[in-house]
Amino acid sequence: MEKAIIELLARRAGLEKALAEFPDDVAAAAEQASGSVARMKAPADPRAEPWPPMRAGSGL
Amino acid sequence: MSDLHWMTAAAAAQAIAARKLSPVELMTALLERIARLDPKLNVFVRLDGEAAMDAARAAEAEIATGRSRGPLHGVPVGIKDIIDVAGLPTTCHSKILIDNIAAADAVCVSRLRGAGAIVLGKLSTHEFAIGGPSFDLPWPPARNPWNSDHHPGGSSSGSGAGIAAGLFPLALGSDTGGSVRNPASACGIVGLKPTYGLVSRRGVFPLSFTLDHVGPMTRNVADNALMLDVIAGHDALDPGSAVAPAGHYASGLERGVRGLRIGFVRHFHETDLPAHPEVTAALENVARTLQGLGAEIRDIRLPTLGEFGAVNRVILQSEAWAIHGPWLRERPGDYGQLARRRLLAGAFMSAGDYVQAARRRLEMIAAVEGALREVDLLLCASAMDPPSRIDDAAETERTYPRQARTPFNVTGHPALAMMAGLSAGGLPLSVQFVGRYFGEGMLFQAARAWERAAGTDERHPPV
Repeated sequence: MEKAIIELLARRAGLEKALAEFPDDVAAAAEQASGSVARMKAPADPRAEPWPPMRAGSGL
Repeated sequence: MSDLHWMTAAAAAQAIAARKLSPVELMTALLERIARLDPKLNVFVRLDGEAAMDAARAAEAEIATGRSRGPLHGVPVGIKDIIDVAGLPTTCHSKILIDNIAAADAVCVSRLRGAGAIVLGKLSTHEFAIGGPSFDLPWPPARNPWNSDHHPGGSSSGSGAGIAAGLFPLALGSDTGGSVRNPASACGIVGLKPTYGLVSRRGVFPLSFTLDHVGPMTRNVADNALMLDVIAGHDALDPGSAVAPAGHYASGLERGVRGLRIGFVRHFHETDLPAHPEVTAALENVARTLQGLGAEIRDIRLPTLGEFGAVNRVILQSEAWAIHGPWLRERPGDYGQLARRRLLAGAFMSAGDYVQAARRRLEMIAAVEGALREVDLLLCASAMDPPSRIDDAAETERTYPRQARTPFNVTGHPALAMMAGLSAGGLPLSVQFVGRYFGEGMLFQAARAWERAAGTDERHPPV
């Protein structure tokens, strides 16, 4: 992820202080986030729903 | 009695009830051991020895008059320091909450006390139950009793190290991406992540609402079942709580595995994240042993660990950002670096990413449910490597994510990690059993069969 985009997103999230004091940590977090999102497959069925968020034994 | 520190909770409770063991004698032995070993192992964030000894005296007096509080009367328990104990700090091992005193017991603690257990104190954790062993926090990280140069896993690190070192027979941990099962694996003990919703999370500092689980950590399978019996149950004030069938988790412990169909998820450790050869050999040995005891072992495929891990991280870090965002904006310097980096990641995920992960999660649940219609339970790796040196940050960073625990936080199925053997270097190797929703009884049955065959409950670290 480009540095300018990281800074823009960090400021949008209100992370000015973290950006000033821990720029490497902010950059590492942004890279980690984009990596995780990229590794996730889209659901096979476009009608797949996200609910319920979590309920064991709901009969799926 | 000698070696009180290796006594199981069940044996201690039985001896106490029969007035063959005084709870004061047991507490004294454990407090002496803690005084000797904890300076090296860093298990406790806050030892509440005086109150624990008072409670032991009270238990002794009650038992002398014939009054029993329950199946754990007089048995000491350690509590991970993200779980509230009334009057004690819940710091989450962080400067952020260094002055936070709990007003009431968490439900799981209250249930333990109701069964007669005695709280010894609050135990080390990775900061806010995320990250890894850190040296930039108000307390040092716990160390592995098998070799204190190595990490004990986490995030329930003090729970795992303390159980393995014989500082207490029972501990509570929490598990959002494997945090009960990682220290169980690294320390050679038994750690269970129960079915999502089986144990109340009320009074436990959240990391990720839909991934958090509270679980028992013990030195043997029977104690784990006993502890689960005590802490499981519906809580109307925990929105994730399940109305589950009654427990009696220890009732089938000695049934063995004859006729059980066990699905071996080999691709986790063979191709997804190729394991250390000693781990692979240990897993094959477990499968062969269970087959020899009459189980049918067959290969099962699930989605890859890479994908499970990605879904886990997107959900976990999005939900954690909702909790930690205000502190990360105002006090980023009050976090240690490892937790700060992981918690900040949620700021860079979108609402769409989170919803996509939730949708994919339901497909992953369906995949595991499908597998569990073909077999009775699953067998797979927990950790892909023996625990690394605690001072080798790069190796810890490399090996920590090499694990197969997050899939079952994503799906909510019960999963138990335990010792599979010892490495050539004398460090624990591990195996994981996974069951159907609310199928903890069968998990314990299989785990006990392996424990009995391999004698894993008789192996203790040289401390």
